[in-house]
Amino acid sequence: MSAQSKLLTAVAALVAIGGGLAAYKSQKLGVPFWEDQRVDEWLVEAKISFVATGRKVTAKLSLPAEAAGEKTGQESGSLGYGYHIKENGDKLTAVWSSPEEREDAQALYYRIRFKGGLESGSEEIPAIGKPETPEVPDLPGSLGVAANSIVNRALSTSGDPDSIFVTLFRQINRENASQEYLLVKRHYEKMSLSDPNIAMGIDLLGMAGIPARLSYGVRLDEENSGQRPYALLEYYDGASWKVRDPLEPTKVPDGREVYVWHRGGGPLLDLDGGENSRVTFTVVKDRIPLARLTDLRESPFLISTILALPASERAVFRYIVLIPLGAFIVVLMRNIIGIPTLGTFMPVLLALALLEIKPVQGIIMFSILVGAGLWFRFLLSRMNLLVVPRVAACVVIVTLLMMLMGVISYQLGMSVGIKITLFPMIIIAWTLERMSLIWEEEGKHSAIVQVSGSVFVAVCAYYFMKVSQIQYWAFYFPEMLLLLLAFILLIGRYTGYRISELIRFKSFTNA
Amino acid sequence: MPDTETAAVEKPKWWHRWFRTPSELREMGVVGINMRNARFLLPNNPRRLYELVDNKLRTKALAEEFGMTVAETYCVVRNPHDANRIDKLLDGREAFVIKPTRGSGGKGIMVIYKREGKNFVKPSGTEVTPGDLRNHVSNILAGLFSLGGKRDYALVEYRVQPATLLTDMSFQGAPDVRVVMLHGYPVMAMLRASTKESDGRSNLHQGAVGIGIDIATGMSVRAIHHGKPITHHPDLGICLIGVQIPDWDTILHMAVTCQEMTGLGYLGVDIMIDESMGPLMIEVNARPGLAIQMANGIGLMRRLVPVVEQHAKNPTADLETKIAFSKKHFRAKLPEPRD
Repeated sequence: MSAQSKLLTAVAALVAIGGGLAAYKSQKLGVPFWEDQRVDEWLVEAKISFVATGRKVTAKLSLPAEAAGEKTGQESGSLGYGYHIKENGDKLTAVWSSPEEREDAQALYYRIRFKGGLESGSEEIPAIGKPETPEVPDLPGSLGVAANSIVNRALSTSGDPDSIFVTLFRQINRENASQEYLLVKRHYEKMSLSDPNIAMGIDLLGMAGIPARLSYGVRLDEENSGQRPYALLEYYDGASWKVRDPLEPTKVPDGREVYVWHRGGGPLLDLDGGENSRVTFTVVKDRIPLARLTDLRESPFLISTILALPASERAVFRYIVLIPLGAFIVVLMRNIIGIPTLGTFMPVLLALALLEIKPVQGIIMFSILVGAGLWFRFLLSRMNLLVVPRVAACVVIVTLLMMLMGVISYQLGMSVGIKITLFPMIIIAWTLERMSLIWEEEGKHSAIVQVSGSVFVAVCAYYFMKVSQIQYWAFYFPEMLLLLLAFILLIGRYTGYRISELIRFKSFTNA
Repeated sequence: MPDTETAAVEKPKWWHRWFRTPSELREMGVVGINMRNARFLLPNNPRRLYELVDNKLRTKALAEEFGMTVAETYCVVRNPHDANRIDKLLDGREAFVIKPTRGSGGKGIMVIYKREGKNFVKPSGTEVTPGDLRNHVSNILAGLFSLGGKRDYALVEYRVQPATLLTDMSFQGAPDVRVVMLHGYPVMAMLRASTKESDGRSNLHQGAVGIGIDIATGMSVRAIHHGKPITHHPDLGICLIGVQIPDWDTILHMAVTCQEMTGLGYLGVDIMIDESMGPLMIEVNARPGLAIQMANGIGLMRRLVPVVEQHAKNPTADLETKIAFSKKHFRAKLPEPRD
C-alpha cells in the first residue's frame, strides 16, 4: 500500500469510527448533540473519608430532602459496605455498615443529581407543633451581661424573628462591631468551634427566644472541588423553619449558588468505628439528562465511561480534553498559515494557562515576566555561566518575580496577583532561555517575531478552546477527537503553500 | 536585457506589492516548505542518515574517505580539561575556526583570523581574550548551540582563505557556495555572501546576499537581498552579476560525491573555495532552505520534476552522467561577464 492510500484508509476509518459513535450516541442514546439542547443538571458528590480504627464501621450521612424524590438520581459507591437509606419522618439518612472489622483509610461516596434552577432546598418548612423553647446558654459574668444587653437591644429595635436575625448577624459580621459583640465573639472564638460566629448567633437567637440550629449547604461551584460543607443557619420564625446564609442575612439562598444539603439540626455525619472523618463535596454540572446517562454508561463504549468516573476525577478531564484542540490550532497556524512559534507545543501550554487566568491579564503578566526575566538573563550572560546553572538561575529569578508580582498586585488590591502562581513557571523559564538564545544567535527581530507568534497562536487556541459548543463536544463526545485526528493527519500531507509563503515570495520573478 | 523581456510578458498586478496568489506561485514552480518536506525530504532522507550530516566530525571523516578535500582539523575538544587549555592547544596557530560539531545554521561558529599579543582577533576586528575563547568552547561542550541542547564537542579547524575574487564580494565573512541536489543531480546553486547586517554570517534571512549561479557554467546570474533582486552588494557596491566561480567542475563533482557518500536523496552541500587549496567541503545540509529559488529566479519545481523523471528512467546513472544531465538541462540565460 502506498503512503497515500494508507493515509486515506486511516482517515476514512477514523471518520467512520468517530462519526459513527457520535451519531449513535446522539441518535440512539439521545445525548443532545448541540449544546443549546442540553439540560442542566447538577451532580453533587459527597465523599466521606476517615481512618477506620479496627472495629466494625457504621456511618450515617444526613441527606437532602430531594433524595426521597423519584426524579432525582442517587447512588452510593463504597466497596464492601452494606448500604441503605433510612427514613425517619421526612428526615433521610444514608447508612453504610461494614460486616467485618476495618482498618486504614476508607472512603464512601454518595451522589445525587437534580435539575438546576431557583430551588435551593431552603424553602420554609412549617414546623410540626411548636419547637421547644431553646435552652439559654450559661455565659459567665460580664459575658452574660454583654450578651443580655445585645439581645435586649435587638428585641427593643426589631419585633419579629426575621429582623432580629438580620440585626444580630449584621453586627456579628461587622469588622468593627461594638465592644459587647467583640467580647462575646472572642469568647466563642476561644472555644475553637469550626464556625464560632454561627454558634454565637444560635445562642444569641436562643436568648431572644428564637429556636435556631446549624444547617449545611454545598456551594454550586465547579471550580472548587473537594469543598468543605458550607455552614448555614436555620431558625424558627414562629410558623416555619427558614434557612439563611449568616454571611448574607437578608438574602434567601439562591438555588443557582447554594444547595442546602442538611437541615433539621443533628449532625451531618455520625460515624462509629472511625476517626479523623471529614465530609467533602464536589459539584459538576451535567449536560446530559440522567436517563440518557444511564443508557450511555451501560453502552459498550469504553470511552463513554469518563462519565461514570467519580465527579472529582471527571473534573480533571475538563482540561485534558482541551489539549488536542490546542494542538490542532498549532498545526493549523504553523503548517497552513505559517506563523513561527517558539517550540511546537509551547503555545498550547500557554493557552491552558490563559484558561486559568483571563487572557488580557495573562498576556500582560506573561510579557512583564518575560521582559524582566530577559533583562536578568542578559545580566547573567555577562558572567559567562555554564548552561545548566544559567537555566537554574533563570528559574530562581522567575520565581522571585512571580512572588513579587503577587505581592504588588495584592497590595494594589488586584486579586489576579494571587493566581499568578498558577502560571506555569516552566513555560516562562523555558521561553526565556529559548528566546535569549535566539536573540543572541539570530537577532532580536527573530526572537520577538517568534515570541509574539507564540502568544498569538496561544490566544487563538484559547478562544477556540473557549467556545462552549466545542468544549461540550470534546467532553461529551470525546470520539469526535478522532475526527480531529483525521483532520490533523490530512494536514500532515498538505503540500500547498503556507499563507506566509505567499508574502515571502511576493517579489519572486522569473529570471 | 533579459529582465525587461520577462517583465513585459508578466504584467504586474496590484497585489504583487503584498503577496502572490498560490496559482501564480505554482505557475512559476515555487516550492513551499510543506511541499519540500512532504515530497522531497521525507521520502528521500531517512531519519537514520541525519546523524551522518548533523555531526561534522563524521561528515568530515567520511568525506576524507571519499577523497574530498576538507579543512584541516587542528583539534577536537571533548572535555572541560581541554577546554580550559584551549589557548595552549592552539599554540602556533595564527588563524582558525571553532565550531560545535552538531551546530546548525552557523550557530556557535567563531572565526579567528590573527593573533595580537595574548589576544585573538575576529575578522570584524573585535579582540577575543583567551578567557573568552575558553568560555565559548565550554558553552559548545554544554550543548548551547547544538540541536536539542545535547552535549557536544568543539571542532577547531583551518580557517579558509577565499580567493580575493570572492572576498571582494562579501563584507567580512567568507562566502560559500551551496549546491542543492536531488538523487545526485545538481539542481540549483548559489553563493552566499555576508553583509554588514548579517554580521559575517551567510544566512539569507539574517540579511546575507544570495547570488544565483548557473549550474552549467558556474557564472553568477542574479542576486537577491531580503528577497528583492539587486545587482550590486549593498555595503561594498561591487557588481555581483556575471562573476565566474573558479573550479566550478570540481565543485559539482564534490557536491555529487557528497550525495553518494551520505545516501541522502535531497540535500544541500556547502563548499568554500580556498585561495591555495581550491574547493573545500564544509558541511552537508539535510534540510536545505528555499531561498535558493529566489536567488536564481527559478522555481525549484521546474528542476526537481525533470530530475525525478530522469531518475525513474535511469536509477543507476553514474556521477558524470548526472552532472552532464544537469549541465545540459539546467542552463540559465547568461548575463554579460563582469569586466
